Amino acid sequence: MAKILIIDDDPDIVEAMKVVLQTRDYKVISAASGEEGLKKVKADKPDLVILDIMMEKDDSGFDVARELKNNPSSKDIPILMLTAIKEKTGLDFKKEAGDEVWLPVDDYVEKPMKPEELLSKVEKLLQTG
Amino acid sequence: MPGFQKENGLIERVYWLIRLRWLALAGVISAILSTKLIAGIQLPFRALYFIVLALAIYNLLFYLYLKLARKRLFSDSGVIVTRVTNIQISMDLVFLAGLIHFSGGIENPFIFYFIFHMIITSTLLSRRESFIQATFAVFLFMLIVWLEYAGFLEHHCLRGFVLDDLHANRIYIFGVSFVFISTLYLAAYMASSISIRLKDREKSLKEANLLLEEKDRIKSEYVLRVSHDIKEHLAAVQSCVEPVARGITGALNNAQKDLLDRAVERTNKLLFFVKALLEITRIKLSKDISMEYFSLKKTVDSAIALVEEKARVKGMEIALRMDPGVDMIYGAEIYIEETIANLLANAVKYTSENGKISLDIKDRQETLLIQISDTGMGIPRDEISKLFNEFYRATNAKKTVREGTGLGLAIARQVVERHKGKIWVESEEGRGSTFSISLPK
Repeated sequence: MAKILIIDDDPDIVEAMKVVLQTRDYKVISAASGEEGLKKVKADKPDLVILDIMMEKDDSGFDVARELKNNPSSKDIPILMLTAIKEKTGLDFKKEAGDEVWLPVDDYVEKPMKPEELLSKVEKLLQTG
Repeated sequence: MPGFQKENGLIERVYWLIRLRWLALAGVISAILSTKLIAGIQLPFRALYFIVLALAIYNLLFYLYLKLARKRLFSDSGVIVTRVTNIQISMDLVFLAGLIHFSGGIENPFIFYFIFHMIITSTLLSRRESFIQATFAVFLFMLIVWLEYAGFLEHHCLRGFVLDDLHANRIYIFGVSFVFISTLYLAAYMASSISIRLKDREKSLKEANLLLEEKDRIKSEYVLRVSHDIKEHLAAVQSCVEPVARGITGALNNAQKDLLDRAVERTNKLLFFVKALLEITRIKLSKDISMEYFSLKKTVDSAIALVEEKARVKGMEIALRMDPGVDMIYGAEIYIEETIANLLANAVKYTSENGKISLDIKDRQETLLIQISDTGMGIPRDEISKLFNEFYRATNAKKTVREGTGLGLAIARQVVERHKGKIWVESEEGRGSTFSISLPK
């Protein structure tokens, strides 16, 4: 069964997502920081990463996503980002010059995520990824 | 000081000076004509007309210069504008002295018109400059009087207006000069005193305003922080409760499901409110929102798609009419989409079943006009002005629909103002409302 890595520093959210994802028999592992997340991607080779934007810093998730997509060994792992669309495109984050895909994630879902929405997005990303 | 004057629109006041000069020209012409035609006094009219013509040309050239140099003057710290104003006022004094010389010199009561230049100088420039201009005016006046008295310049007597030729009457010269000089300096002193006081007050008001803005910013930051933290916790609560309520963790009995559904529903409402609060605070605090060209057509379609279902349930359709040619506009796409969707959702919410809702997009050369109309309950006339205030909800809206944050229209206003546009509403209670947004293209 597919392996999913959740990178989020909120243990309650992680636990809730685990419960939802495990109903579909996904194997779920988690990391509580960007740094730990990057290590676990290397070590555990997940099929999908669920990534929170705001961790140590307000945009830690962006850095993690960029790093994953810039690395040949992890660039094909789909990323589902936990964020509101406003936070994604609105005020706080600007396009960076030369960034063709400025937000290198495959899909996003706003917190709190509806269980059905989370499951359907995960399923879709795993199929295409 | 120059910077301060510039902020207060010194350039605009230079334009005011130009307009005043046209007015003065008209006054001079009518004074000359009435001297000639009504009073029948003989004066060197050709010389007077020549001065009038020169003044008109000078004013026109000056107007053109200002138009061409406007951009440079705006970026200037105020030094050039101040110098230009000084030169202008000095030129005006010379023109007035010329007119006075050809129309009676010291006999002409219009010599007291120099006082207006003193007042203007005091309002536009510093006290020191006012005194310098007053001294220049006194110099010009004394020069004419002396030159005419000594016979170096021909005196043109206002015969018929004065009984006797006065330009050589020493006592008259002394008396009038004394009154004239003291009047000029007193006028310069008083007008600049008033102007200094006004400027000081303006400055302290501005400072008070800045302080208020700073306090408001601190308050907004506080709200942002608090609502952000609340949202984090709420999101965690909802993430944990919802799977249980949906039966993902196992079957529930009816009472369990009912109570959990209620908890989920209330959490949702609270989340909605906190998110709206976060959003308006974020817009307020942001210096600029990122904008780009986007297709308004597409945006309008997706805004309609967001509310279509709710409208359909109430037996309503949203009639879209869009001027041909409306397409790309410059702005923040998601905010415009949300604003339109928000106004449409309000229209659906406050219109009874089978009412009519329309969305019109009109092309108005410089701007785009977006209008959302409904046949709903309308807004009481005396509440319209408060409608876009934060947390305000119209009394009839509150009665009919209990839920509502009172933030939707405040957010809409922030968004529209960030686009340098306008938002307003026309409404008649019981008949319906039309919300209009005008956006620069």
